[in-house]
Amino acid sequence: MNESLRNLTRRHFFHDCGIGLGRIGLASAFAGGFANLAREANAAVSSPLAPRDTHHRAKAKRVIFLFMAGAPSQLELFDDKPKLRELDGKPIPPSVIAGQRYAFIQPDAAVLAPRFPFARHGQCGAELSDRLPYLSKIVDDIAIVKSLKTDQFNHAPAQLFLNTGHGLPGRPAMGSWLSYGIGNEADDLPAFVVLKSGGSLSGGAAMWSAGFLPGSHAGVPFRDSGDPILHVSNPKGYDRKAQRDSLDLMRKLNERELGVIGDPEIQTRIDAYEMAWRMQSAAPELMDFSDESQATIDLYGAKPGNPKAAFANQCLLARRLVERGTRFVQVYHSGWDHHSQVENGVRTQALQVDQASAALVMDLKQRGLLEDTIVVWGGEFGRTPMVEASAALGRSLGRDHHPQAFTMWMAGGGIRPGITLGATDELGFHVVEDPVHIHDLHATLLHLLGIEHTRLTFRYQGRDYRLTDVHGHLVEKLLA
Amino acid sequence: MRHSPVWLASALSLMTFGVLAEEIDFQRDIRPLLSDRCFKCHGFDEETQEADLGLHTFASATRDLGGYQAIKPGDSTTSELIARLISDDPKEVMPPPKANKPRFSAEEVALMKRWIDQGAKYEEHWAFEKPVRPGLPPVGESRSDHPVDRFLDQKRVGKDLPLNGPVDPHTLIRRLSYDLRGLPPTIEETDGFLAEHAKDPEAAWGALVDRFLDSPAYGERWARDWLDLARYSDTNGYEKDRPRSIWPYRDWVVRSFNADLPFDRFTIEQLAGDLLPDATTDQIIATGFHRNTMLNEEGGIDPLEFRYLAMIDRVATTGAVWMGLTTGCAQCHTHKFDPITHTDFYALMALLNNADEPEIEIPDPVLTRQREEIERQIADLETKAVATMDEGKYQAWLAELRARSVPWTVLPPLKAKSNLPLLEIEEDHSIYASGDFTKRDVYEVTLDLSPMVGKAVTAIRLEALPDPRLPANGPGAAYYEGRKGDFFLSEVKASVGGEPLKFTGASVSFGKISIGSGEAKGENLYDGDGSTGWSTATREGEAHSLVLRLEKPVEGAGTLDLNLLFERHFVAGLGKFRLSATTADGEVIALPSGTPDVHASDDISLRRAFVRVEPGHKKLQEEIAALRKRLPSLPTTLVMKERPANHPRPTHRHHRGEYLSPKEEVAPAVPSYFEPIPEGTPANRLGLAKWLVSERNPLGARVQVNRSWQALFGRGIVHTSGDYGYQSELPSHPELLDWLATEFAGQGWSIKKLHRLLVTSAAYRRDSRVDSVQLEKDPDNVFLARGPRFRLTGEMLRDGALAAAGLLSPKRGGPGVYPPQPASVVELAYGNESWKVSTGEDRYRRSIYTFAKRTAPFAAYLAFDGPTGENCLPRRDRTNTPLQALTLMNDPMFHEAAEGLARLTGSGGQKDPLELLFRRVLAREPAEAERKEFLAYHAAQLSRITSGELKADEILSAERGAVTSELAAWAMVARVLLNLNENITRG
Repeated sequence: MNESLRNLTRRHFFHDCGIGLGRIGLASAFAGGFANLAREANAAVSSPLAPRDTHHRAKAKRVIFLFMAGAPSQLELFDDKPKLRELDGKPIPPSVIAGQRYAFIQPDAAVLAPRFPFARHGQCGAELSDRLPYLSKIVDDIAIVKSLKTDQFNHAPAQLFLNTGHGLPGRPAMGSWLSYGIGNEADDLPAFVVLKSGGSLSGGAAMWSAGFLPGSHAGVPFRDSGDPILHVSNPKGYDRKAQRDSLDLMRKLNERELGVIGDPEIQTRIDAYEMAWRMQSAAPELMDFSDESQATIDLYGAKPGNPKAAFANQCLLARRLVERGTRFVQVYHSGWDHHSQVENGVRTQALQVDQASAALVMDLKQRGLLEDTIVVWGGEFGRTPMVEASAALGRSLGRDHHPQAFTMWMAGGGIRPGITLGATDELGFHVVEDPVHIHDLHATLLHLLGIEHTRLTFRYQGRDYRLTDVHGHLVEKLLA
Repeated sequence: MRHSPVWLASALSLMTFGVLAEEIDFQRDIRPLLSDRCFKCHGFDEETQEADLGLHTFASATRDLGGYQAIKPGDSTTSELIARLISDDPKEVMPPPKANKPRFSAEEVALMKRWIDQGAKYEEHWAFEKPVRPGLPPVGESRSDHPVDRFLDQKRVGKDLPLNGPVDPHTLIRRLSYDLRGLPPTIEETDGFLAEHAKDPEAAWGALVDRFLDSPAYGERWARDWLDLARYSDTNGYEKDRPRSIWPYRDWVVRSFNADLPFDRFTIEQLAGDLLPDATTDQIIATGFHRNTMLNEEGGIDPLEFRYLAMIDRVATTGAVWMGLTTGCAQCHTHKFDPITHTDFYALMALLNNADEPEIEIPDPVLTRQREEIERQIADLETKAVATMDEGKYQAWLAELRARSVPWTVLPPLKAKSNLPLLEIEEDHSIYASGDFTKRDVYEVTLDLSPMVGKAVTAIRLEALPDPRLPANGPGAAYYEGRKGDFFLSEVKASVGGEPLKFTGASVSFGKISIGSGEAKGENLYDGDGSTGWSTATREGEAHSLVLRLEKPVEGAGTLDLNLLFERHFVAGLGKFRLSATTADGEVIALPSGTPDVHASDDISLRRAFVRVEPGHKKLQEEIAALRKRLPSLPTTLVMKERPANHPRPTHRHHRGEYLSPKEEVAPAVPSYFEPIPEGTPANRLGLAKWLVSERNPLGARVQVNRSWQALFGRGIVHTSGDYGYQSELPSHPELLDWLATEFAGQGWSIKKLHRLLVTSAAYRRDSRVDSVQLEKDPDNVFLARGPRFRLTGEMLRDGALAAAGLLSPKRGGPGVYPPQPASVVELAYGNESWKVSTGEDRYRRSIYTFAKRTAPFAAYLAFDGPTGENCLPRRDRTNTPLQALTLMNDPMFHEAAEGLARLTGSGGQKDPLELLFRRVLAREPAEAERKEFLAYHAAQLSRITSGELKADEILSAERGAVTSELAAWAMVARVLLNLNENITRG
């Protein structure tokens, strides 16, 4: 095989498989130019192995996003509002609510007091409700942001927005942008993995779609039943040797074809099949928790194989994935959509996630992984200070969707620990200090990963698209 | 010169081959630079123009800026532009550092200088000028006088690319078979072709092309590409992603390709079939094209916001499919790169925006006859029962009914208006609501009380009536989230002469709320709580009534004003209703739904009603219920219907594209840059559709021709096949593109003729092996010195495997089917739905008939870059990934095909099983070396099976036939064949 073929082969593989060194996305982003795709090819051919550096030195190499789908109530967990206790049961002033759109409630809804007591914790004195006893022990390691804002007030669009920066399906998810931009560190596992616990997800598969990026950058969902990665097991009747024998024959014949035809795509195919083979070994090893100590399992509250501890199990799996080089892990936990009985709802869900979320941060820290792994915890929007009640729906003492202000926390990978950023007004309705729009969150996460958000672009249908669209500001105060 | 012979392929070739021409070509050399690095701030969008300077036209670029000009034609030294390009001052240099654009290289600056010195000539962007039919170049290197080859040869001159010869006939028939039919050739087809090819290659080829074009599989293969553009899916998308019935549109596309419906008619029928004179059912089904937008059924959404987003999608899709334009940019602001203003975008939307979106039943004479037959049987049963019924019981029932029934007088409406829906008064004094609905609709109705003059009204009745124009026949207008045809009446307020009336009691004929646990009782309507109310969910398509009793009787004089509030977390307005009044005393109630009106019914209808409810006729009632269950329902599909003239929907420009920021109203028009819709043609969907396939649209034929080229040659002449604007790559063969476009329109828009033309070129039939010089100089095969080769789609891989295994069902059309895939694929989707795998031949239907679920697309297709149906997809990626390898190696669906292939070899009776497998999968015989490898593998696996290391009854399924070690080993061989790159690729 001549050199140019070798180079092209490599280019094809990195470009298509989204694995290996994979800094090609940034190469093309730098190149800009009018013949984007062709340029990308050329840039890669000229220096296939030279690792294009990130835009600046990266603080973080990977992200675990604990996605609280359904949108947890910030007023029951993070953002105490004494004024709401005072006004409980009274209608919210019309001046506050005028012009706002809501999913279910009518504008004259009354105020609902926070359902749980709050207290200060740690050296930083962060305020949390009593529903987060485990998180309260690590407040000095995390940054709490009380001033998130989003553009969308329904689940599916808001979940898509938080993942892709856009409220409609069709844009690449953040994990896909990373896979495209800085590639994968693992050669036997996907760059972008999706884990799930709890019920249905409104945003659906579009939340881990590669959008207009090549499909190889799509998130790979791990399945609850059957193979964790679709078809990662041999078909019935095939043992490891039979599979390897078959692969050897495929390889021989494909190499023969490569020799005759000379199309570098054939070499890419051979490489893809070999990576598939490696994944077949790596996946069972990944899923086998028997090498975890009892102390670790207890830290998370995990119960391997038991769906009752699904979230804890997934958090532990997330750590195992980032250890093995996966770039972006999403862990979805749904069940936070408390239109009715927010008190019971938050109580139940907090019991399911608090321990494992905090354990993940602690575990990463003790393994030295927290330094370059970002953990983000949050949902697609917040919940209203007003009560939701509906006779037709049989709802009472709930909260509706509230995109105007909500809370997330994050830790590690260059996030400034032990701070609480931003504030809402006395009703918890609007952000009054240090607003952080979802686009700003994206810009900041990319920054920590070494990427200038305005420069990670992909030309599609005549336009250079970005994760942050035409928006986004780096939130300096969040940086360590 | 626009068609300069030295006009090179693209910016890439510009870099690769260097600038040959002395004269600067604006389109080739200059505009790409300006567009990419300058237009964002100095382009069409005047609102964002920096320094008030536009470089997009000669006039604006040469404007006097106060003693100097950005571009001074003929004099680059005093042109400010050049000074800025080479400046070292970060405040001066262009593009500025913050733009994140590359600086102009020395070479590029030199180009700009030469262009300015030569007069800074601007030319119109090629794609916005009408294609002019170029003359045919002389016969060139390939010695083919086929027009396609003559253009290709001309462009390859001087490239020093070694030209491949024709490919072998085995590969050739497989190539054509997949390209035209999406299926591999059968052994018989291959043998036939080889024999004819040996005698007369040209004649054999022509005959083969015709045979494949005539195959019904042709429509199934080409419909798939079109459905990618149409964003076809069998579900609504978004959160709930419920099923929808629009497969009749998919079948129409398949039929249209097979019938070679000319592309101009194909276009007009899809955009405006309903507006054609005496529109046929097929033409109305065709309007499903723009009903393939998604429908958000998430609780609590603003339905009109998502209707607006669907309109945005329709404009963007229309632009991409028929104009190759990325109009989407102009949703938010005037396009920075292409001449589409912000207003143009909404003018285009206005053309498409004046339709209602009903679901229609498709007439089917067979089903209608079956229905009529069953209805007749029911009537016969009732007649028989009436003849033998117990008269005494009947009279008692009737007397009781009479006692409970009070006479009602219909109150004619005088006026009816609402916040948004159109309320129309019908002849029977009912009110019919149509148009757009919101989550909170208020109807105000004024009724004439004159029929009650001199009488004291004691109660008011509202009848909720079914109507075939409504979703699920009504009575409500709900079309998403809740049950179709549902409504939710929250509050009723009434007044006479401005005096509010008070209600003291209420009753309903039937009440049930969908979604939620509330009670649907009449008293809810005057409790002051909007979240309580009345619905008749589960009994759609029937009449129901509500009776409200007045605290004090009111004199029947003047008018009665009613205010009806419909408030839920989804659209829940009433679609059709009528009001009446009574003077009866006492506790007037609403009789159960379905009770005949004793005052208005004749004797026989009452008797029939009696036998339907009388417990003594239980057997009859069961028989009727059984018959009703057998009533076949007609298939339905989603279509467009132009709004009535008295109710046009206004379209506004939206500031920054935001739904909540409508600005001035915009009149329907094509983008102002282009020639307008001619006078005398209506400015509506029909006018737009005709315009798109007229000479006035410079892009219609080019875009369609390019798509066919892309499908057959692997790469479009315009590579960015969804974008022909300033930001697009220049066409590699502009003259060829224009020749094909004019040829296509000239020959009558026949797609089959176009395909025939393309595949009869020598270029199509060239060997696709890659020479190292070709790879070096033309890695993407732009100049087609070698034949095109590319990976098959996931659908073709599945269809091909099934066809080779003899499993593929020839059944065409109908609702989507469910081939096997792991249950976990749809478990991830909302609602934990199950994927109920089809049985019988539906398991083996062609992939185009696979049920397409947007949030969980069929996994094997998605793995191979198949569409999600969420957006118009002009070009699929062709990735090459480990997940594809896992799918082909381990997916039981492909394993089943491998088993099917093995079973074709017979139980050891076949003389040469390996040859059979090769020929069925790869359309060729194995080479000796291959035979050796395969037989060694076969022997090794066979010995492992016979020794018990591997188990034949695990590799094979006993349900599908005999289980032998021999067959199991052949199944393993077949699986390897299916996984070979040669099978995955159409070479």
